[in-house]
Amino acid sequence: MSSVLTVTLFRRTVRASAWAVLLIDLFLLIVWAASGAGSFWPKWVWLASGLVIASAWWKAKPNGAFAQHLGQSAILGLFLIGVWAASGFGTFWPVYPIAVIALLSGLRAVGRRERSEARVEEVTRTRSGAVEAAETQLRRIERDLHDGAQARLVALGMNIGLAEQQLTKDPEKAQEHLAEARAAATAALQELRDLARGIHPPILADRGLDAAIHALALHASVPVSVDVELVDRPPVAIETAAYFVASEGLANALKHAHASRIDIDVHERETALVVRVLDDGRGGASELNGGLHGLRQRVEALDGSLRIASPEGGPTIIEAVLPCAP
Amino acid sequence: MRAVIAEDLALLRDGLTRLLRDNDIEVVDAVSDGDALVHAVVRERPDIAIVDIRMPPTFRDEGLRAALELRERVPETAILIFSQYVEGTYARELLADGRGGVGYLLKDRVMDVDSFVEAVRRVADGGTALDPEVVAHFVGRTNRLAALTPRETEVLALMAEGRSNAGIADVLVLTVGAVEKHVASILQKLQLPPSDETHRRVLAVLAYLDSTL
Repeated sequence: MSSVLTVTLFRRTVRASAWAVLLIDLFLLIVWAASGAGSFWPKWVWLASGLVIASAWWKAKPNGAFAQHLGQSAILGLFLIGVWAASGFGTFWPVYPIAVIALLSGLRAVGRRERSEARVEEVTRTRSGAVEAAETQLRRIERDLHDGAQARLVALGMNIGLAEQQLTKDPEKAQEHLAEARAAATAALQELRDLARGIHPPILADRGLDAAIHALALHASVPVSVDVELVDRPPVAIETAAYFVASEGLANALKHAHASRIDIDVHERETALVVRVLDDGRGGASELNGGLHGLRQRVEALDGSLRIASPEGGPTIIEAVLPCAP
Repeated sequence: MRAVIAEDLALLRDGLTRLLRDNDIEVVDAVSDGDALVHAVVRERPDIAIVDIRMPPTFRDEGLRAALELRERVPETAILIFSQYVEGTYARELLADGRGGVGYLLKDRVMDVDSFVEAVRRVADGGTALDPEVVAHFVGRTNRLAALTPRETEVLALMAEGRSNAGIADVLVLTVGAVEKHVASILQKLQLPPSDETHRRVLAVLAYLDSTL
């Protein structure tokens, strides 16, 4: 929004300034005529003001960086040709500076192509990683539902059905079935809650990263120190990814590392969010562990990077850098 | 009556075992994967095998594959597929041989214990028991049923579930005579020869539906 507003304002200013410059040019023409119409000196001012107006006009266009550069180069070239013409033609000297400008543009085009090819490769790779991660996640949710809450609800219904059948024949047995039904309902609710938390923890949505990571640490069996320093809440996708870096890193340390202490640290570095999970365990964390691999896919899909340093004997550092800039 | 159960979730396996025993159906074996099911049925030759579709090791259609294998190897054992989801393709594969003694019910149906047990007995006796959801899959996708009146479509769906004329009359609050008329009309419109036995009619209808899918 704000950048659109800036461009609009800029364009208006350009238009107003262009009119002012044209008026000045006209005024100079009158001055020249009034002063006896000698050597036509206003042409130099006209040339310079033409350069300024054309350059500002092109700058106000919503072009990409490369198109901007090309346009400005062309305007500069035309200006030089204009100077050559205004100075009475003669040897076509502008050919030299124009050749230099063209050479620079060419170099820039080559660099740009290389960069964009590398970017396309990266986007293709991280995108298929993101799709795969989402697919795995969905399959896991479906399985959890099928084997968890759904099965519990079937058991619940079965117990109620049996209780109904026994109600008159054997009230005591009916009561047993009802007690089991209630237990199944409780378990189903618990499983649905856990599943929902695994998809998007409510506390993260309600209170943000700091509270959500502190809540994670509360359930850990090892002392966990949490340090979250954020000025503003990051965008939702970044926040969720940061949370899962913390939760997966923590789960990994608790499960595999035999750590006696875990540090989770979240802070801003320039325009990125950095999440670091450090444990003093035995190291040897590997991405063959599905959790960490999924984490990398999740982070890279957001143009972030994940670094895992875990030499045998420890310590293990898992660090994600998630760019927040639009 | 003797039954074998194949269900990988212990919670449901135990519950089902108890439910059947409470209703005088002997559970001779309760297993948790397809291979064990095939072995148990070949060994025990039960009247019926109650089979979950998704089981280890692949958690895909393990149970259904085992069931199809058993249809060939132990034809006298009826198969009741008992699943958390309905897949029209699976029902079609199961019904493909056109013999009775097959059923496909959602696990939800176990909540009505009496009709579930009745369905188990019906299938074990060579009848059919298709879940209304399964039937909906067939009926909804068959355009040659366009000739049927809405009432006849209802009757057909109930027939496919395995109900007798009296059962259909109960559900639709009609006289048995009226149901018989509807059935005759359906069979005529679908160009199927009339027959006395409920489950044979159902199989004929299902075979017809199957051929039009």
